[in-house]
Amino acid sequence: MNELHRRYFYTAAVFISLLLAWEYATGNGYLKPYRFPAPSQIAKAFVELSNVGFPRDLTIWIHVQTTVGRIAQGYVAAILLAIPLGYVIGRVPVLEKLTNPLIVFGRSIATLSLLPLVIVWFGTGELTKVILIAYGCFWTMISNVIAGVKYVDKDLINAARVFGVKGIGLYWTVILPAALPRIFAGARMALGVGFMVIVGAEMIGTIEGLGALIMEARTFYRSEVTIVGMLIIGVIGFLISSGLGRLEKYLVPWDTGLDEVRR
Amino acid sequence: MSDSATNTETAYIDFRNIGKQFGFGDEAFVVLEGINLSITKNEFVSIVGRSGCGKTTLLNIAGGLVAPSSGETIVAGHPVNGPGQGQGFVFQQHALFPWLTAAGNIEFGCRSSNLTKPQKKDLVKQLLDLVGLSRVADNYPRELSGGMQQRIAIARALAMDPEILVMDEPFGALDELTRIELQDELLRIWEVQKKTVMFVTHSINEALVLSDRIIVLAPHPLGVHMDLKITMPRPRDRTDPEFNALYKKIWVGLSS
Repeated sequence: MNELHRRYFYTAAVFISLLLAWEYATGNGYLKPYRFPAPSQIAKAFVELSNVGFPRDLTIWIHVQTTVGRIAQGYVAAILLAIPLGYVIGRVPVLEKLTNPLIVFGRSIATLSLLPLVIVWFGTGELTKVILIAYGCFWTMISNVIAGVKYVDKDLINAARVFGVKGIGLYWTVILPAALPRIFAGARMALGVGFMVIVGAEMIGTIEGLGALIMEARTFYRSEVTIVGMLIIGVIGFLISSGLGRLEKYLVPWDTGLDEVRR
Repeated sequence: MSDSATNTETAYIDFRNIGKQFGFGDEAFVVLEGINLSITKNEFVSIVGRSGCGKTTLLNIAGGLVAPSSGETIVAGHPVNGPGQGQGFVFQQHALFPWLTAAGNIEFGCRSSNLTKPQKKDLVKQLLDLVGLSRVADNYPRELSGGMQQRIAIARALAMDPEILVMDEPFGALDELTRIELQDELLRIWEVQKKTVMFVTHSINEALVLSDRIIVLAPHPLGVHMDLKITMPRPRDRTDPEFNALYKKIWVGLSS
C-alpha cells in the first residue's frame, strides 16, 4: 500500500464509520428520522426515485436531465454574452470606469431576490429559470473577463509590439492568451453560481428538476428525498467541474498542471 | 561640438535634440531635454544614472515604444517612428510569453522575418545552442530560473536579427552570482553576434565590465553629464586599479 492508497483508505474509513454511527443513532432513536434520515433510508429513497419517481413517473433521471438542461442554457448564454462584452470593457478604460459601479451593483444583488420581478416580466415558464441562472453566472463571469483582459502585463504587450505585432493583432496574439487563465477561473466560478441558484430558480411553476424535487420533498416531509437531491446536485457539479478542469489543462497548459506537462 | 558633424556621419544610432515631457501645461514633467547622442555601429554603450533621469525613456524612444516630444532618432539610416523596425528589446522583467515554450518564445522573435518554417526552426535551434539552453527548449518560462528566462529573452531578441539591441536593466532582477554569470554570457554572445547595444543599468560595475562607452545621464541639469570611452581589454578584471579609478570617476559624476 503506497502513500496515496493509504490516504484513500483512511478517508474511506472515516467516512464509513460516520455513516455507521449515523445509521445506529437513527435506528436507536437518538436522531429523529424525519430530521436525519438514516443512510439506509436515503439509499432506499434513491432506488425509489430511480424506479418509480417522485412525484410518480418523474424519475431522478428526468429531474437530472431537466436541471442540467436549464443550467447549460443559462450558463452558456451568460458566458457567450460575458466574454465579448468583458473583453471590450476591459480594454477601454473609459468603459471600464463607467460600467464598474453597475457591475459591482449587479453582482451584489442576490439572484433569488429577483425572482418575483422576473416572474412578473417573463411568467413562470422555462425562460424565467434560464434567465435567473444566466443572471447569476453573468456577473461572476464578466468581472473575471474584465479583470483578465485589463491586467495583462504591459511588458508582454510591448514585447509583442517590438516584434512587429500591432493593432488588432495584439488582441489575438497577446491579450487573449494572457487573459485565458483568468477567463477559465471565471468560467469555473460561474458554474458554481449556476448550481447555487438552481434550487431557487426551480422553486416556482415546475415539479421537474432537482430544485423542484427538493422543494416537493419538503412539502411531504420526505427529508431523505431532499438529501438524495442534494447529493446528486453535488455529484453533477463535481463531474462538470472536473471536466472543465481537464479542458483547462488542455487549453491552458502553461498555467495549470505543469507537473503533467513536465512528466 | 566640432566633432559632432563627423560623429553624425558614422552614427548608427543618432539621437538628435531629443526632448520628452509627460503631461501638459502646469502638470508637465520634463524627463529629457536637448539630448544629442551618437552611437557607432557595433558599439556597446551603457547608460547609467539615478532613478528618474530618463534612461529608460531614452531606451524606449530608441525602441520606438515611446515617441519623443521633440527631435528625432535615426537607427541604421532610417528615422524611428514605431517599434518593430529592427530594434531588438530585452526588458527588465523577462517579458517572455507564458503560454509559449522557450523555443516558442524564440520563434516568436522571428515571426516577422522572411524565413521559411524550416529555416526558423533551424534558427531557434542555433539560438538555443548559443545561449546554452537546448535542453529546456520545450519548457514553459514559469519552469525556468530567472537567469534562464533572461537568456531566452536575449535569444528571442536576437531571433529578429535586430539592427540594434536595446536592453533595459536586463539583469537588475537577478541575484549577484547569476548576474555576474550573465554579464560574461552576454559578452560571449556579443562576440559571436556583434550588435550595436544600448544597455541601461543601475550598476556602475556592470557598465564597466560590459561597455565600450559609458554615458552618465543627470537629472539636474537634464542631459548627458559624462561620456566615457572604456578601452580596457576584455575580459575585464573587476579588481584592476584602472577599473576602480573609473568606478570612482563615475561615482563622483553621479553624486555631483
